[in-house]
Amino acid sequence: MIRAMVPYLVGLAIAAALFVYTGYLDYTPRPGQLGPATWPRLVIGLMAAACLLEIARVAIGGKAGARGIAAALAESGESESEPARFPALVAGGIALVGLYAVLVPVLGFLLATCLFIAAFMYLGRYRRHGAVWAISVAVTVLVGILFLRIAYVSLPRGIPPFDRITDVFFLIPGR
Amino acid sequence: MTDIVLQLGSGFLNCLTPLNLAMLVIGIVIGLLIGVLPGLTLVMGVALALPFTYKMDVTASIVLLTAMYVSGTYGGAFTAILFRIPGEPIDVPMLWDGYTMGRRGQPAKALGWTLVAAFAGGTLSAIAMVLMTQPLASFALRFSSPEYFAVLVFGLSSVVALGRGALANALISLSIGLLLGTVGTDPIYGAYRLTFGAPLLADGIEFLVVMVGAYGVGEVLSRLETGFAGKPIERIANARTELPTAREIGGRLGVLLRSTVLGNIIGIIPGAGATIASFVSYGVEAQFGKRKHEMGTGVAEGIVAPQAAATASVGGALVPLLALGIPGSGATAVILGAFLLHGIQPGPQVLATSATMVYTVFASVFLGLALMCLIGYFAIRPLVRILDLPEAVVSAYVLVLCFVGALSIRNSITDLWLMIGFGVLGFAFERLRFPIAPLVLGLILGPLAEEAFMNSMISFSNDWTIFFTRPIAATVMAATILVLLLPFYRMWHAERSAGGIGGR
Repeated sequence: MIRAMVPYLVGLAIAAALFVYTGYLDYTPRPGQLGPATWPRLVIGLMAAACLLEIARVAIGGKAGARGIAAALAESGESESEPARFPALVAGGIALVGLYAVLVPVLGFLLATCLFIAAFMYLGRYRRHGAVWAISVAVTVLVGILFLRIAYVSLPRGIPPFDRITDVFFLIPGR
Repeated sequence: MTDIVLQLGSGFLNCLTPLNLAMLVIGIVIGLLIGVLPGLTLVMGVALALPFTYKMDVTASIVLLTAMYVSGTYGGAFTAILFRIPGEPIDVPMLWDGYTMGRRGQPAKALGWTLVAAFAGGTLSAIAMVLMTQPLASFALRFSSPEYFAVLVFGLSSVVALGRGALANALISLSIGLLLGTVGTDPIYGAYRLTFGAPLLADGIEFLVVMVGAYGVGEVLSRLETGFAGKPIERIANARTELPTAREIGGRLGVLLRSTVLGNIIGIIPGAGATIASFVSYGVEAQFGKRKHEMGTGVAEGIVAPQAAATASVGGALVPLLALGIPGSGATAVILGAFLLHGIQPGPQVLATSATMVYTVFASVFLGLALMCLIGYFAIRPLVRILDLPEAVVSAYVLVLCFVGALSIRNSITDLWLMIGFGVLGFAFERLRFPIAPLVLGLILGPLAEEAFMNSMISFSNDWTIFFTRPIAATVMAATILVLLLPFYRMWHAERSAGGIGGR
């Protein structure tokens, strides 16, 4: 029962903390006006009410509450069994995207992306080594041309000596 | 009327400029591929395309995104019928009759019915869209801030009541989206709200970061959790489309019209998109149709009803977006985002200020439907071949697009971190069965709702009853209450039915 309540207890705690936090906004009050905390506090109230309702429902052992119409309709189509889950893969995926965010300012977008694609495919249990590296390079070049040379999107260059890769890339004729 | 026809004609000509036409074709092809690939949802695909449109002309951007939206409602039918893999939730009803017809040795015929339904439903709905947008926009010119607030509340409530997930979870998701929309500098008082001292948050949270993170990264993480265990694909040597005869179509005109009208109306209601249209339309045929007892056995009615309604919902969903500035679905929320990125606020004024652009978008829907059917008819084999790509490869590519989406806003690593954070939140939402659509719509519509609310309070001396005493606002508020009661009514009805069966 407590496990089912956890998300709503967390939600309620966040709502309470935010309610207090919005009480300390720095502004000059205007007579007859509600102030900048009014709207966030209304929303926080809505969130707290929804959390409290769910906590109460779980506490009294109530059956599942009302659901959106699409949820009820889709249920009739969900006949398949629950798939096997691999939490370690998710943890690896989150770690990998985090590592990418750490490395991209250093290695630059192109090199970090190429390495990321290869690493992610290995994580996703795709083990054809030649294909992994060929796809990584091809996708990086494709995305690089598309965004750096055609759409002119500014992407991280990295620090020396890695920024040279971006310099070389800019030798490709653009739009 | 003449004016509308002339403007639409001019829209067709604008659509045929090389850039717009290229965007239309690209959008249709990508939309079909998104529909085919089970790991890519329609909204996620449209959100991932948004960064491409930064430097583009606004009309070309909207044409691209709208084309993706239109064809995304159709592509999933191929894999649902051929392989029993619904590319989108929209295509689940296609499994019941479409796949069954395919198993009975008529997959080409099933695909032919899908094509006819998508084209007819989409085209009729697009005509309704052209005819309805101008009158609705003219009516909306009477709106003042209380009416706007009421309409926005209706839109947000519909997303909660009609969406996927428990009502309480949807409300919490909506609240988080609304709160994210308040982060940054308050527009009236200049106060920093929920920035926690971080200078980067003073400008607010970019909705693109949230959208790409929650839909893109979140979905990839969810698929990764299952080990990318997609179903093995059967080899279909002769995937082709066989169009039904005029006589066969004539026998199903009633279903076609009923489903189109239903899909269009459901599309207009904010929060109810193609998925609900598809399910409701199938349900109506199963309960009231001429061949209701044969539904699920591979009859054409079971294919026509969901497909016509799903594609018809697109025209419907574009009406409130263009006339009121309120997106009716996740995909239209992204299209609204594209408008805002280019400094255009859709709403009653947009037809006066940017009529050329609006009519070009209208024309692109008609052309897009025709192109979609042509490409679907002739290129079905290469389209379904994309399923041969390992999911790990497709997901890696999707993640790279997410990274570009976050970095392209202001080349800031903080945005990348924020996107990753929202990706993890999206995954947690998926895992805990919290719907993401209310969060995204709350983030986009929240600032508009707050502005309308605060302006109403300032103009009417903080009298909150104003939302219930002005006729239009009161009517919309009453509709809001009805929509919010709908899930409770459904729950009560289901319990009563179950009690009745149990009691027998």
